Amino acid sequence: MMKEYYCVVTFDITQHALLFEKELKQHNLGVKLMPAPRELSTSCGTAALVMCEDKDKIISICDKNSIPINKFHKLEVTNKDSWFTKRILKK
Amino acid sequence: MSGKRKMFFYGGIIGLIGAILMKLGNPGNMGLCIACFWRDIAGALGLHRAEVVQYIRPEIIGIIFGAFGISYVTGEFKAKGGSSPIVRFILGFFLMIGALVFLGCPLRMILRLANGDLNALIGLAGYVTGIFIGVQFLKKGYTLGRSIEQTNISKYIFPIFALVLLIFLIIKPSFILFSTEGPGSMGAPVIISLILGAVVGVALQRSRICTAGGFRDAILIKDTHFLWGILGIFVFALAGNLVLNFSKFNLGFVDQPIAHNDFIWNFLGMTLVGLCSILLGGCPIRQTILASQGDTDAAITVFGLIIGAAFAHNFGLAASANGVPQNGKIAVIIGILFALSLAYGVISSSKKNSNKEGVKNA
Repeated sequence: MMKEYYCVVTFDITQHALLFEKELKQHNLGVKLMPAPRELSTSCGTAALVMCEDKDKIISICDKNSIPINKFHKLEVTNKDSWFTKRILKK
Repeated sequence: MSGKRKMFFYGGIIGLIGAILMKLGNPGNMGLCIACFWRDIAGALGLHRAEVVQYIRPEIIGIIFGAFGISYVTGEFKAKGGSSPIVRFILGFFLMIGALVFLGCPLRMILRLANGDLNALIGLAGYVTGIFIGVQFLKKGYTLGRSIEQTNISKYIFPIFALVLLIFLIIKPSFILFSTEGPGSMGAPVIISLILGAVVGVALQRSRICTAGGFRDAILIKDTHFLWGILGIFVFALAGNLVLNFSKFNLGFVDQPIAHNDFIWNFLGMTLVGLCSILLGGCPIRQTILASQGDTDAAITVFGLIIGAAFAHNFGLAASANGVPQNGKIAVIIGILFALSLAYGVISSSKKNSNKEGVKNA
């Protein structure tokens, strides 16, 4: 069976997540702010759900606009029935 | 189970346990209250001399053991910290002042509401206002800095603190104070409190429910994930109270247990709690859970809560059913002004730093 993935960007501070969302929307790239997924964090900070194929564009936009990101995560979809998975697959 | 349903269910466990603990002997609308319970522990340790609120609350020990145990098993028990500890201590201190003027932490606010106490609605309005103000600072770049890995041993300090409290609770040495009357003398059986506390600790560690985080995300990113947990606490506590504590259910503003109906100070007390919770990155229960899983910054915050409780009673700041003392009103205003100045100062200094970086990089 083919594996499915989703990508999430995490940040050190909330303001960076807000700047990130604004910039990506201006470039017409898919982005949705959300609580950091449980698999990534024990904290309840803000993360951004993005399209995995946009990774290079996103990194370049962040570099150009000095938006610090903590990490770009590529996660395997393990539970296809979870709300989170459905949200990703709907995109 | 979907994420929102899972959150609702986890919250439901906490709400139901709140109703059960009240049925089994905890004070009115205080099946669970993190601020009140830490205040009782501060009293038991002799840090304040308010004789009616001194007890080593087993629920707190259970919550710490529960969160510690599950984080240990799942590999999430990690030592981290170093993010503005002194600022966190002071914010924890003022958070407790606000909570003791309202008479309850955000969790008790929900449980009070679930047993008909409409003063909690005023508190809720104040809490959301405080969170809304805090969110404006987050948008402008407020941060207490990144936490980093700490020496491994430091992660054990908070669970060991809980173990020491448990030993004191069991052997009751003469220097530990236990109330013989008032809310501090009322409690569910120790073993049951410990076990149910542990269940709450596990549920909170797994779900990451945070009352402040729930409202913050709803305001900031229009996400209701954590809000479902809060709703679960309310709905299950309400159902639990209607079944288990029906004779104590009292819809209205007057004659509510361990509460006053001074609207302004219920509102402002919780405004201070909401603001401090956002600036700290979590409400008192969340700080207790984080501390239990090795976060030393959260542990410092909890110690700030404990010292805040001690000062609240030693300086006559804490409210009672008779209302809010003058000193308490002044302390809440000072707390709000302090928190606002601090947040403004953090933003100003980070802007200056980024300007300097800009000059350096130019």
